[in-house]
Amino acid sequence: MRISVEQRLRRPRWLTVAVPVGSIVFAFLVAAVVLVATRHNPISTYKQLFEAGFTQNQSLDQTVVVATPLAFMGLAAAAAFRMKLYNIGAEGQMYLGAITGTAAGLYFGGRGGPAPFPIAAMVVAGMFGGLLWALIPGILRAFFRTNEILTSLLLNYVAGLLLTYLIFESESYWRQTKGFNATVFPKGKPLPHNAIWPGWTLHVQGGLTIPLGAFFAVGAAVLLWVVYRLTRFGFEATVLGDSPRAARYAGVRIRRKILAVMAISGAIAGLGGASQVGDFSHALDGDPNGLQKVGYGYTGIVVAALGRYNPFAVVLIAFLLGGLENAGNTLQGPSFPAGLVGVIQGIILFSALGGEILSRHRIRITRKPKQTVPAAAPARAPEPAA
Amino acid sequence: MKRRKLALGTLLLASAAMAALVFAGASSGRTNAGAFKVAWIYVGPHNDGGWSQAHDDGRLYVQKMLGSKVQTTYKENIAVGQQFNQTVASLSAQGYKMIFATSYGMITKQLAAKYPNILFEQATGTDLSKNLAEYFGRAEDTVFLSGMAAGYASKTGKLGDVLAFPIPEVVRHANAFALGAQYAHPGATVQVVWTHSWYNPAAEKKAAESLAAAGADVIGQNVDSPAAGQFAESKGLPWVGYDSDASKFAPKSWLTASVYDWGIYYLKRVKAAMAGTWKSGFYYGTINDGFTKLAPYGPGVTAAAKAKIAAVEKKMENGSFYEFQGPLYDQSGKLRVAKGVKMDVLKGGANSLYGMNWFVKGVIGSPKG
Repeated sequence: MRISVEQRLRRPRWLTVAVPVGSIVFAFLVAAVVLVATRHNPISTYKQLFEAGFTQNQSLDQTVVVATPLAFMGLAAAAAFRMKLYNIGAEGQMYLGAITGTAAGLYFGGRGGPAPFPIAAMVVAGMFGGLLWALIPGILRAFFRTNEILTSLLLNYVAGLLLTYLIFESESYWRQTKGFNATVFPKGKPLPHNAIWPGWTLHVQGGLTIPLGAFFAVGAAVLLWVVYRLTRFGFEATVLGDSPRAARYAGVRIRRKILAVMAISGAIAGLGGASQVGDFSHALDGDPNGLQKVGYGYTGIVVAALGRYNPFAVVLIAFLLGGLENAGNTLQGPSFPAGLVGVIQGIILFSALGGEILSRHRIRITRKPKQTVPAAAPARAPEPAA
Repeated sequence: MKRRKLALGTLLLASAAMAALVFAGASSGRTNAGAFKVAWIYVGPHNDGGWSQAHDDGRLYVQKMLGSKVQTTYKENIAVGQQFNQTVASLSAQGYKMIFATSYGMITKQLAAKYPNILFEQATGTDLSKNLAEYFGRAEDTVFLSGMAAGYASKTGKLGDVLAFPIPEVVRHANAFALGAQYAHPGATVQVVWTHSWYNPAAEKKAAESLAAAGADVIGQNVDSPAAGQFAESKGLPWVGYDSDASKFAPKSWLTASVYDWGIYYLKRVKAAMAGTWKSGFYYGTINDGFTKLAPYGPGVTAAAKAKIAAVEKKMENGSFYEFQGPLYDQSGKLRVAKGVKMDVLKGGANSLYGMNWFVKGVIGSPKG
C-alpha cells in the first residue's frame, strides 16, 4: 500500500466547509483523549467551554473584548501575508499605535471640545504610529532585502520595552504622576472623558457592549476586501505575492508595493492599539503583565491563517477564537491546570491549520498489484543478524 | 479487501473505546452546593516557587480550616487588564462572592464598583472602596533580617540583589536588605540588577550571573522564581530568597528568606465575609501577627549569626528596633531621614514606605531602573 499526497487540481465547493468542520471534530476527539487521560470529562468540558465563550450570561460581552483586538491583528497579518510579505510585527505595531493613540487622546482630549475630535485624532495617530513602526522592516526589506520576518519580530521586543519604559521607568507624558497612589505603583495617565471611545450596548445576555473598535475592525475588513478584490493595487500585490518575477515583467513597482503593504498592515495593527486604549484600558498599559503578556499580535497570525487571509473570514475567526480564549480563563483552576487549557486550545488550532492541507491536497491510497518478484528488495537494508 | 476491513474494524473499535472512556470520565465533576465561594487570582503560575505559591498555600490553608463550608479556586497566569476583568466576570457568573487579587494593578475602583456583590481584596496596593480592601505586610523587617544573614555570609562585603521593577515596594525591600547586610557587615555594598518582570526565570538567572561576574559573593532577590538560587547553587554562592521557602532548589546555597504567611489573613477575612462582618480596610501585617517571618535557615548560616539575628528579631517584636529609623542616608550620602525619625507606611511622600524611590547608601545601581 502506498500513501501519497497530491495537489488537488480542482477544489470542490463542499470541501471549504467539510474540511474546517472535520478538523474541529478531529481536534475535539484528540483533545478528548488528553482530557480523559487527565481525568476530566470531555463532554462537560466542551459544554463549559462553549457556554463560557458564547452562551453564558455576559459571555459574549467578554468574548467581544478579545475578538476586537484579534480581528485587528488578524487583518494586519492577512493584509501583508496576502502578498507573501510576512509581517510578524503586528504585536509591536499595536504597542506603537497604543502609544501614539494615547498621546493624541491625552493631548486633544484634555483641551475640551466635542468628543468626536479627540477620538478621530486617536484613530489617526494610532494608525500612524503602527504604520511608521511597520515601515522600519518594510524599508529594510524593500531596499536592503533584509528578511522581514526577523526584523518585524525583533522589533516587537523593542516596542515592548519602550512601552514598559514609558510607564515604569520614566516620568513620561503617558504616566500618571499626580497623587500618592501613582508613586506606589506606576500607571498610565487616564484618558480624559471625551477621549474614551463609546460602545453600543445591546440588552442581551445581561448586557453586551460592542466597542467602537469592533466597528472599525469590520470597516477595515471591508476596505481590505475592496482593495484586494477591486483595485489595481490589490491585483498587483496579489500577483507580486504569487510570482515576483511575473510582477516584475509586468512592470509592478516592487519596492513601492512592499512599503505600501507594510504601511497598510502596520496602520491596521496601530488602530488596534489605539482601540485597546480608547475602548478598554483608558490609559496606556505599560505593565509587562498586561497587554504584552496577552500576545494578541501573535494569535492574530493564527487568525489570519485560519481565515485564509480573507478579511471577512478573519473577522469571523477572530470572534470564534475570542470565545475560545475567553472560555479558557473560565475553565482553568485547581482541578483544571492552565497548561491543559493551552493544550486543548493548541490541539484545536493545530488541527484547524493542519486540516488546510486537505483542502488543497488530497491523500491517495494506492495498493500496488501483488508482485511475484520483490523489485524493491535490493533497496532495503538487510536485516541485522540476531 | 481483507486489510481494508481490518482497518475499518480497528477504527470502529477505537472510536467505541473512546466513547466509552468519554462516558467513564463523566462523573468526575465535584460541586459543593451552599459553600461560600472564594477565588484567588495569580499573576504567575500557582506553583512558581515564590510569590504566587505562597498565596496558594494561603488558599489551601483556608480550604483546610473551613472544609466544606467554602469552595475555593484560583486562576493563574492572568494578565492585568482585560484578561483580569474577564476572569472576574466569569467568576461572578459562577457565583464567587469574594476575590483575592494578589498583584497590584489588577483591581481598579471602577471594577469593584461594577460588582457590588463581590468582596475584593488586593495585595500590595492602596486603592480602597466599599468592597475593595488592600493587604500586605512589613516584609522590610524580615528582609532586613535576611540581609543580616547575607551580610554574615559575605566575605568580601560585596553583595548582589536581583530586583523586579523600580517601584517603591521593591526599592524599600532592596534598602532593607542592604541595611541588614551593613548591620552585619559594616560597609557592605549591594549591587542591584533589574529584570523588569515579577516572574522570569531566564532573566533572573542572567541577572544573578552578571552580579556574580561583578564580584558579588552573596545573591539576594526580590523576584518570584528560584532561578537566581539555582545559579548560585551551581557556583557555590550563598543565596537569600524571597516570599517562599525555596530551599529545595538550592539546598547548599540557601541561607533564608523573608516569607509571608498569607493564610492567617485569608482565613480571618473569609470568616468575616461569611459572617457578614467584613469591612474594607488597609492591612499591614507584622512579625508579631505571624504574617511575615524568616524561612528556615540553610547550612550557610552560622550559630553566631543566628543568635545575632534572633536578638534583632526580638527587638523588632517589642518595638525597640526599626530599620527605617533615621539617620538614613541616600546613595549620594545626603541625609534623607533625620535621626530618630521613623518612616511611616503611607505618610511622608518619598520618605514613606509606600513612596520610597531612593536607595540607601551602599546600594549600587539606579532606583529608576
